[in-house]
Amino acid sequence: MLRLFIHSSAWLSFSGLLLLSGFLLYASWPIFSEQGLYFIAESEWYPYEDLFGMLPALFGSLLSVGVALLIALPLGVAAALFNIEIVPSCLQPWLRLLMELMAGIPSVVYGLMGLWLLVPFLEQQLDLLTGRTLLAAALLLSVMVLPTIMVLSEDALRKVADDQRQRANALGLSWWAVVQRILLPQAWPGIRLATLLSLGRAMGETVAVMLVIGSIDRLPEPLYNLLQPAQSLTSRIGREMGEASVGSPHWSALMSSGLLLMLMSVAVVLLSQRRWFK
Amino acid sequence: MKWTIHPAKLLLTLVALPALLIPALALGYIVYQGGAVISWQFISTSAELSGFGASSGVFSQLAGSLLLAVGACIVATPVALGTALFYQLSNNSRLCHHLELLIYLLQAVPPIVYGLFGLILFVQIFSLGVSLIAGMLVLAMVLLPMLTLNNITSLQRIAIEQTDAARALGLTESALVLRVWLRQSRRELITGQLLAIARALSETAPILFTATVFSGVVWPDSLLSPVTTLQTHIFYLAQEGNHPQSIDVAWGSALVLVITIVLFSLLARALKPSGGNL
Amino acid sequence: MISNSRLSNITAPVQHPTTALQIDQLKLSIQGQPILHEISLSLPTSGITALIGPSGAGKSSLLHCINLLQQAWQGEITLHQKSIRQWPGGDEKLRRHIGLVAQKPTVFPTTIYRNVVFGIDGFWQRRNAHAIAEQALRQAALWGEVKDRLHAPAASLSLGQQQRLCLARALAIKPKLLLLDEPTASLDPKSKQLIEQALSQLASHIPLLLVSHNLEQAQRLGEQVIFMCEGKVIEQADCDTFFNHPQRVESKEFLRWAVCECD
Repeated sequence: MLRLFIHSSAWLSFSGLLLLSGFLLYASWPIFSEQGLYFIAESEWYPYEDLFGMLPALFGSLLSVGVALLIALPLGVAAALFNIEIVPSCLQPWLRLLMELMAGIPSVVYGLMGLWLLVPFLEQQLDLLTGRTLLAAALLLSVMVLPTIMVLSEDALRKVADDQRQRANALGLSWWAVVQRILLPQAWPGIRLATLLSLGRAMGETVAVMLVIGSIDRLPEPLYNLLQPAQSLTSRIGREMGEASVGSPHWSALMSSGLLLMLMSVAVVLLSQRRWFK
Repeated sequence: MKWTIHPAKLLLTLVALPALLIPALALGYIVYQGGAVISWQFISTSAELSGFGASSGVFSQLAGSLLLAVGACIVATPVALGTALFYQLSNNSRLCHHLELLIYLLQAVPPIVYGLFGLILFVQIFSLGVSLIAGMLVLAMVLLPMLTLNNITSLQRIAIEQTDAARALGLTESALVLRVWLRQSRRELITGQLLAIARALSETAPILFTATVFSGVVWPDSLLSPVTTLQTHIFYLAQEGNHPQSIDVAWGSALVLVITIVLFSLLARALKPSGGNL
Repeated sequence: MISNSRLSNITAPVQHPTTALQIDQLKLSIQGQPILHEISLSLPTSGITALIGPSGAGKSSLLHCINLLQQAWQGEITLHQKSIRQWPGGDEKLRRHIGLVAQKPTVFPTTIYRNVVFGIDGFWQRRNAHAIAEQALRQAALWGEVKDRLHAPAASLSLGQQQRLCLARALAIKPKLLLLDEPTASLDPKSKQLIEQALSQLASHIPLLLVSHNLEQAQRLGEQVIFMCEGKVIEQADCDTFFNHPQRVESKEFLRWAVCECD
């Protein structure tokens, strides 16, 4: 009885990824068979003319996530160090609790804040036609992943053995040297893991990005321009899924965006878990 | 005095402060905006069917969110527990290895991809339509990896001596599981359920196309009828509500949602035998 | 397969009806590391057999092989002339005939009474469970101390009482063989004495295999001594013979210096 239950649930879990990729492939098959694979690298997305270039959304996803991590990573690690090294120890758990609770705040609430706080702010400050830009998405994402990065980096930093630090102190190393030569290098694997984890999370983030990114399928001009409306894979799926009729090329192109997104996040995990492939 | 000795500490503080202040300010802003709106009446009444959701009262949304989250948790729990038990009982370390990697992969798949999968399989192929049950199943899939990992950690906390002692008494595998493992880790397992519910409450993307409608539903008649939820309510109001009153409702809903999630996480924390990670 | 079984038929030693446990050519390796080398020994149907040797000699591993908590061994173990590998009803049924008391008292987080009947308590409660529990507690010299608070949490007992509770729990399954892995190692002298008395009484009707670090205890309680070192049985002899006239050089050295250098 128990064996049967245990085995069937394990097989259900085992089949999860297979089912996911299988059904997504099944749903996006029409677009692959019709247009081959190179539509992924094209830059025109006009569903009504059967043009399904993935490049703008792919680029938007990568750029927004990249910028978000560039902002959040140093801030998050600094905050973790700050919490461990400078904040008095009676306050540390409270700060951590705040961060853990922040990590649990739903993305739609961040989206609401982004749309009605960040976007108007950007419009005013940068004198933009619309604040719904790649920059808004990147800033919002960075705020969203900050708590995660901080909590995980703090765990990694705390794991650095106390005796190592004491030995370093005994050697007369300055505080900064201890941080630089002992703490950060030792905690680096954990921080790397935190980065990759938040990378995956940010890449798959949907509603918050969708509310602030502007949803215009165009490559920015020039490419590094963050102040134009853009599109990400997730925001496109979220925005257009409701309109696309089931089974149409449009529908299946959106499904293939989902498949692409899944493959990208799977790749990130495989990168982060390299120890499995020794 | 500390500060004059270590300019590096000052620098670190300057970098870390925005990372700590921005989330705190964000939380404060939600409380400020939402606090002006919510009242007992706001939580305990449902909006009238007519209109654009501008009339306040989010009772049905709150109920819908909780129904989906708890339902998803109930669906996911047996599978997660079974998989965790499989992991713990199996002697095959290679298989366990693969199972672990697989769970990490499933965890990394973006929620929106689960949403797409649910749209294909549950909504269309099983023709459940946009419904409560489809949403529960999709959310259950989102929760499965985190619940499984949580259950595995809970089971691993049981001392090996207890297991050996029970085995030495001639307990069968099912007696060992029921009378020793589940009994001793029940608090941690319940903690896992509460965290899973909190997580399910914060997901928007997977239920956007599979379970919810904007308005017109006060209470789902059956598992096959669609629901309204706080998450999607906030989303639609933020996106389309142009007059200030609907934005107020959005802020109020956001605060209600955040409070609900925080309550679940704090409850989980209080139940947890020893403090630890999120 | 066929030649194998014929071989084992040929090499199978003569089984005496007075032998409760017989171990032949037991080999155990864990992750390529040899733990036990060709262990052969036998236990009479009653009496205490002391298993001594330095730490790391494989004594605990041997106990775990006997009740199949460790299964990765080769060789043959028979309990009352039946191979334990093919025990009718499987491993669990076998373990119901073999009691084990570990070094560290390990009580389950429930009441004293529930702990005692843990092994015999199934989905349905055994009708005479209470009588069995009382008998087991009496045998473990704990009845007097706990009879008024059987439903108190087991964790409220002292460490020595907890260990006697573990003994009672092992006795409640009515074992045909009792394995004891340094049961008194971490206890106070009073509990030690009570447990030793209990063991001596039990030894009159079931065989006990007692792993002990304490040579005096082994000498006091044992009728037979097995000396193990680095996964090998060096010497198996009567207690008096072993302690007064050890045959092997290693045994002499161990008795004198409490060290062992095999090979």
